[in-house]
Amino acid sequence: MSAKKLFQKHNYLILIIPALLLYTVFIAYPFFSSLFLSFFKWPGIGPKIFVGLDNYKNVLTGYMSREFYRALGHNFYFFFLNWVLSVVPGMILAFSLAAGLRGSDFFKTLFFIPNTLSIIIVGFLWALLLNPQWGMINQILKSIGLDSIAKAWLGDTKLALPTIIVITGWRGMGFYVLTFLAAIVGIDRSMLEAGRIDGATESQMLFRLILPQMVPIITTITILKIIWSFNIFDIVYAMEGTQGGPAGSTDVLGTLFYRIAFGGLGSSQVGMGLGATVVTLIFFIVFPVSVLYIYIVEKRELKG
Amino acid sequence: MFRLNTVQKIIIFSILILWAIANIFPLGVMVISGFKSTREIFLAPFSLPSKWSFDSYKEAWTVANFSVYFKNSIIVTLVSITFTLFISSMAAYVLARFEFPGRRAIYLFILAGLVLPVRLAILPIFLLIRNMGLNNTLFSLFIVYTAGGISFSTFLLTNFFKTIPMDIEDAARIDGASYFRVYWKIHLPLLRPALATVTVFNFIRVWNDFFFPLIFINDNAKKTIPLGIQNFFGEYAIKWDLLFAGLNIAVIPIIIFFIILSKQFIGGLTEGAIK
Repeated sequence: MSAKKLFQKHNYLILIIPALLLYTVFIAYPFFSSLFLSFFKWPGIGPKIFVGLDNYKNVLTGYMSREFYRALGHNFYFFFLNWVLSVVPGMILAFSLAAGLRGSDFFKTLFFIPNTLSIIIVGFLWALLLNPQWGMINQILKSIGLDSIAKAWLGDTKLALPTIIVITGWRGMGFYVLTFLAAIVGIDRSMLEAGRIDGATESQMLFRLILPQMVPIITTITILKIIWSFNIFDIVYAMEGTQGGPAGSTDVLGTLFYRIAFGGLGSSQVGMGLGATVVTLIFFIVFPVSVLYIYIVEKRELKG
Repeated sequence: MFRLNTVQKIIIFSILILWAIANIFPLGVMVISGFKSTREIFLAPFSLPSKWSFDSYKEAWTVANFSVYFKNSIIVTLVSITFTLFISSMAAYVLARFEFPGRRAIYLFILAGLVLPVRLAILPIFLLIRNMGLNNTLFSLFIVYTAGGISFSTFLLTNFFKTIPMDIEDAARIDGASYFRVYWKIHLPLLRPALATVTVFNFIRVWNDFFFPLIFINDNAKKTIPLGIQNFFGEYAIKWDLLFAGLNIAVIPIIIFFIILSKQFIGGLTEGAIK
């Protein structure tokens, strides 16, 4: 059927055109175009020079590789530590809220507030609070006699990345708590009743009956976290700058990409092609996981 | 779900209180410090201000350009959300109500944008915007925010559309109303609760975004709050009273907006926005 005929028969289709057009031109097409760019050498103006796989060689085995793998490692580290710091306390808090004690609505709203704040603002706020000299966190530690752990949180190559991950966890907690809470509320009650009639203890109830029902939501959160962890940029930018300081100890793929493609301060390697290569490599990590996510969402939708 | 004794209740309540403090403390310090002098922030970080002063706010608002950033953020957020809601709800109407060849493919195509981070496509987007001569304009932000909101909004609204009974519109169609009229007059009003949820999600996303302004905007007069704040922290690094006042100006609108709509929003989040 030709497009014209299709429209004559289904003239309501005109209503989906704006969304489809905007989405195709500004979201879908750029994803493919990015892949295309990664085969060229191009500083952003002038002619593009086709270089085949040279950009990939430079990033994966050549002069960019040291920085690339260091950043990649930081992204993985970010994912793992952030996962632990979100899922474990998130579950504990969600179950605490599920107990339905007085004030639960207040807690839900409060816990979500950091999530409504811009990541860049959260980063700036915590950079002030963690300032080694005047920051409130170290002042508290000192006032209760813990001078020894009042560190230069963001200035220490060993501490900076974990600190950033903790701050990210602080901001995101409300989202995980509410998502887990929704799953807990949706747990099949009849099964719990049956368990109780059979004389299950509270810990058996938790580990045998309740936690297994949390597996789907944990899977979803894990997938989303992989995707998000390979896209961090703002928090590092706010707290440590485009260089991912101190001494590159917080450099992630996002900041590395920004320096390459848009020439962050102090970098001379401005290159759209090389930048597109880094993005394409991130894409190859994120894409399979995204497909898995959509598959899961679709499957659950069909189930009802 | 659990049968709890008093000791268990106390433990659970303590956990909640502890995390509440971990939230209130940093936010509280931020709000209160905005009313202090820098000297007072340094010397008495935890005391209430000796004199509640709005001077830092006035200075941030005028001298440090916050009035401009604020205005830009409001314009960008309102325009982008309006377009997103309009465009996505029309698309959702078609996807949820009609059966046509390719419907499922289009749905999956749009769904793909739900999780693929737009910023991975930033280079070609940047080039498109530049070639259209739109860099350094608020228009560039309207476009990317609207386009970037389509997947999520369409997905959520399509699901909601499916819960509206079909016979309503059959009656209207028999009366000769056009599809657009049916959508506009009948569905949009019924869609209100879902539109509210979508609005809150998009409001937070757009109001807070730092990345796209960073790439598109250089001109101070066109910056939104998150990008403006970055300037501001560079320029006034040692004037902590101003920094805290600036942070407060940036966060207070969104916190108020969220608290007003929190019921709606938390409802949306717990009823299947995330599966």
